[in-house]
Amino acid sequence: MVEILETLFVVLTVLMVAYLIRHFIFTLAVLNHTYKRKKAAVTAKNMTYQPLVSILIPAHDEQRVIGRILQGMTRLTYPKDKMQVIVIDDASKDNTGDIVEEYAHIYNYIKIIHRNQREGGKGKASALNTGLKQAEGEIILCFDADYYPQKDIIEKLVLEFTDPNVGAVQGKVTVLNEPQNLVTRLVALERIGGYRVDQQARDSLGLITQFGGTVGGFRRSLLKSLGGWDESILAEDTDLTFRVYLAGYKIRYVNDAECYEEAVENWRDYWKQRHRWAKGHMQCFFKHSLKVLKSGNLRFKEKIDGLLLLNVYFMPVLMLLSWITGTSLFFLKSSQWLSMFWTLIPISLYSFVGNFAPFFEVGVGAYLDGRTRAYWLIPFLIFMFLYNIPICTKALADLLISKISGKNGNNWEKTTRSGNGNSYILN
Amino acid sequence: MHKENTSRIRHLLLGFFAGLTITYIIILSFCCVSSEAAILLMIFDFLFVSLVFQLDGTFVKKIMLLLVGNVIGLLWNSVFYSFAYVAVYYFGEFFNVLHIILNPLLNLVWVVSFWSISLSVLASSKNKGASELDG
Repeated sequence: MVEILETLFVVLTVLMVAYLIRHFIFTLAVLNHTYKRKKAAVTAKNMTYQPLVSILIPAHDEQRVIGRILQGMTRLTYPKDKMQVIVIDDASKDNTGDIVEEYAHIYNYIKIIHRNQREGGKGKASALNTGLKQAEGEIILCFDADYYPQKDIIEKLVLEFTDPNVGAVQGKVTVLNEPQNLVTRLVALERIGGYRVDQQARDSLGLITQFGGTVGGFRRSLLKSLGGWDESILAEDTDLTFRVYLAGYKIRYVNDAECYEEAVENWRDYWKQRHRWAKGHMQCFFKHSLKVLKSGNLRFKEKIDGLLLLNVYFMPVLMLLSWITGTSLFFLKSSQWLSMFWTLIPISLYSFVGNFAPFFEVGVGAYLDGRTRAYWLIPFLIFMFLYNIPICTKALADLLISKISGKNGNNWEKTTRSGNGNSYILN
Repeated sequence: MHKENTSRIRHLLLGFFAGLTITYIIILSFCCVSSEAAILLMIFDFLFVSLVFQLDGTFVKKIMLLLVGNVIGLLWNSVFYSFAYVAVYYFGEFFNVLHIILNPLLNLVWVVSFWSISLSVLASSKNKGASELDG
């Protein structure tokens, strides 16, 4: 019994240390990328490649924020005759449809698709597939309704498609309502770790750059050939990320293409959002792990990174398990050498904090972004991690129950938006 | 840019030399420091030198931060070890168990907080330098 527990404890610790090393390499890569001499290249300002772009905005009861993103769309510098904005009013019960209609009436490049109660409300993937049928652009970009884009974001994102091996692109997400309260500030730190460091490093190292579901897009031809978004998966973005890589294409991350999101403002909404992400990510693990291992289109380092990425939402659960195992072993008077592994746990613990970025990674990311005041909140990220343990454990339990019972438990719990982010936009 | 890179590499090399020296001292003092504390300090030193020494700021400031971090780490561990020792003596074995289970977490408090403080110190010097240049 003790031997089994010891083996389990060592395996779990080694897995956690693997993540720690991964994030250390990411942080080093980003520092190296930042200080590297930049080569002269084609920039968004002098680009001549201007394909027709379709922008999909799924919206379900978004009356508090939909006007903001549409206003942002009218301010974009990309030629309007090469742009098509499609809002999918997904069975909204509020005034979302009316607000979009007003914009569509004034601006001919803004279109609206109404989905009634019978066909709509089935989640983001379903809404996006409806939008895809109407999209005419060579490039399909997606934005969530609570986002606010930079003026020249389309040029910056589209530029990457000049490389024929690039199938998709991802921009940077920054929290708009960061000063609002502790939750929004901590989510902002998570975003710094997740985008400024993780995504940038994956891009620089040629690993699996993740499509985040918003502020990014695809070649329409590729998206069509892949069959659009998978409506049975809650993390439709992660699912598509792996399908793009398995098809032999790359995803590029553009740190300069910045878009501002309205982050969740309380712990309840945080729970709902992360529970959906965790469950969806776990679904992707079961769907893609073997395919990643067997794929001939992925290099060895991409396979390793892909598996670590797919496994990431299991880590808070495994961390809890390792803590319980370690404590049990102490009472069972196990070998002395295990104390060394016991020491590694807390350092590893911070490897999965919040958006699963360790303290040193978030710190360096904040430093590179010049976010001086954000440093003081880094120790508080421990609360995010502790909160993620029950979230991910429940997500795993729900997934297993739905698999065993054969029932589809994929209820899309919409994240509530207050519209408070509007006050942070400077006109 | 070339000058910046050279200085970054110089700071890294000197930092690793300093880190190795500190690690050697920690290993020598294994009799006075618990093995858990020693391992944590070595990990802290490695992370600190590899990452923080690449950021802007003078080498003196960085090396001072590294030394202060090690001193805080040692003091922190001594204080908690002393508390645990006294608690076990007066209240029983239960506090030893509590100390062993919570010690890794308690250690993390100083590591992460000190990391934040170090970045603030380096960022303030960076901003000060920038504003002097602007002025």
